[in-house]
Amino acid sequence: MLLLQIATAGIATGSVYALIAIGIVLIYKCSGVVNFGQGGYVMLGAYAAYALTRLGLSPQLAAAGAVLILAAVGALTELLVLRRMLKAPVVAVMMVTLGLLILFRAVCLAIFGPDQIAFPQIFPQGAVDIAGIFITYNYVAAAVLSLVLSLAFLAFYRYTPMGLMQRAAADNSRAALAVGIHVSNQVSVAWAVSSALAGLGGVLLATLNSLSLTLSSIGLVAFPVIVLGGLTSLMGSLVAGLLLGMLEAFTDGLLTPALESFLRAHTSVYSVGALQQVVPYMLVGAMLLVRPQGIFGQRGTERV
Amino acid sequence: MALAVRDVSISFGGVVAVKGMGLDISEGEIVGLIGPNGAGKTTFINCIAGTYQPSSGTVAWQGRELRGLAPHAVIRQGVARTFQNVASLHDLTVLDIVKLGAGARGGASPRDAARAFVRGEAELEAELHEAVLGPLRLSPIAAQPIQTLSYGLRKAVDLARALASRPRLLLLDEPVAGLTAQEGRQMAGVIREVRDRTRCAVLMVEHKMDVVMSTCDRIAVMAAGAKIFEGTGAEVQADPEVRRVYLGEP
Repeated sequence: MLLLQIATAGIATGSVYALIAIGIVLIYKCSGVVNFGQGGYVMLGAYAAYALTRLGLSPQLAAAGAVLILAAVGALTELLVLRRMLKAPVVAVMMVTLGLLILFRAVCLAIFGPDQIAFPQIFPQGAVDIAGIFITYNYVAAAVLSLVLSLAFLAFYRYTPMGLMQRAAADNSRAALAVGIHVSNQVSVAWAVSSALAGLGGVLLATLNSLSLTLSSIGLVAFPVIVLGGLTSLMGSLVAGLLLGMLEAFTDGLLTPALESFLRAHTSVYSVGALQQVVPYMLVGAMLLVRPQGIFGQRGTERV
Repeated sequence: MALAVRDVSISFGGVVAVKGMGLDISEGEIVGLIGPNGAGKTTFINCIAGTYQPSSGTVAWQGRELRGLAPHAVIRQGVARTFQNVASLHDLTVLDIVKLGAGARGGASPRDAARAFVRGEAELEAELHEAVLGPLRLSPIAAQPIQTLSYGLRKAVDLARALASRPRLLLLDEPVAGLTAQEGRQMAGVIREVRDRTRCAVLMVEHKMDVVMSTCDRIAVMAAGAKIFEGTGAEVQADPEVRRVYLGEP
């Protein structure tokens, strides 16, 4: 019973991680830029939804509105900031994304303050009974919504004309340009979609926990996900997101209590701290040593 | 004239790649562009296709100036090109690449776009099989990733991609280079067949003289960035300056 409950929590948070990580991979594939500011868009999405509810919108409409706002913010980021840096080194562009993260945090801090805020209820209160264990609607909805949207996005990427142009731009931007694709517009689309996914991820995470500036650090968890999945694999992000979510949940629910009870019995150590926050990075360290291209990534080759 | 290029020049640093180049092509005409390596033939095609922006001159296509337009905007004017070195979109299949060509043509009215959306991908794929992949004998390998194909087949896919955009002007950069003699003859046959069927204008850069002579209605010769001669195949072969510059005769 306990295992099933822990697994459900892991799937819920893991699928949200996947949603956020897919956005990072999408931008990386299209433009070669690792968006270190993805956590900022996650946080911005949650605060935008909260602000819209304060303006009188229902929580569900506010969530949808926040996703649209974040899509616009992502497209504007590309148009106003990154398109002007086309000839700058990729490292400089990555630093700018880090700068945007700091800027977004400062803006949210100035407007909403540093305190945790209770996030409005988007999904019905209560719990669903699955084989004798109760799982709140929040967790079920977060998992279902994230998984369905992730799969829908992968289908869009695979089977639609716009997805085909995205894949071509991601495969080889110079070749895509040569065959008549407006690559800059495709990069704008990638930023818009990525930010929208991050915004939705932010809303879901705020629903599961609460709203605070620390949501911006979720971007740091998304990086182990993309390293594990392979920096260029969207499906890898989905699988690795679920894997890391489960790993975190089982570390928090099983490993930490077991370790702490052992240590209390035999040593003077009382707590091991937030072990679940460390485990993803340990896994990434091991992964980089054993299979640096990730589970689904392809080993990079360069023509010389 | 369908295409009227006048006095086009472009330099890279101190190197003048194309100097005062001009060329006319009529509808339904195949014009060959030949010259020694480094003569500026591909650069000239790049100036028409929007890949390079010439520093001076005009590129009028059906009365509209192409100079200043980006490659994707040039394609929407009905101008498609192929490449000397085939574009490396490794992860895509043959059908994907041909679909990209069809998608690049643009210009569909909102009503046509809505109808195409409703018809779905299956109907587009059927159309591409019939109009482009079938004639180029690519239908059996439509689902194969481009990176698994031979150089000759990649060339054919590149032509299929250009044809899928239903061009009125086709710019071909060494379409038979690297192909076997048989593949080259097939390719030349397809080019003539496309011209006969669609009456599109064709500009073809090519080194294989047998293909140029058997395919082109008229031939322009470039050397050191400028046009040195223009005429029929027989006239080109008879001109002593062309023989000296291109064929190395004393």
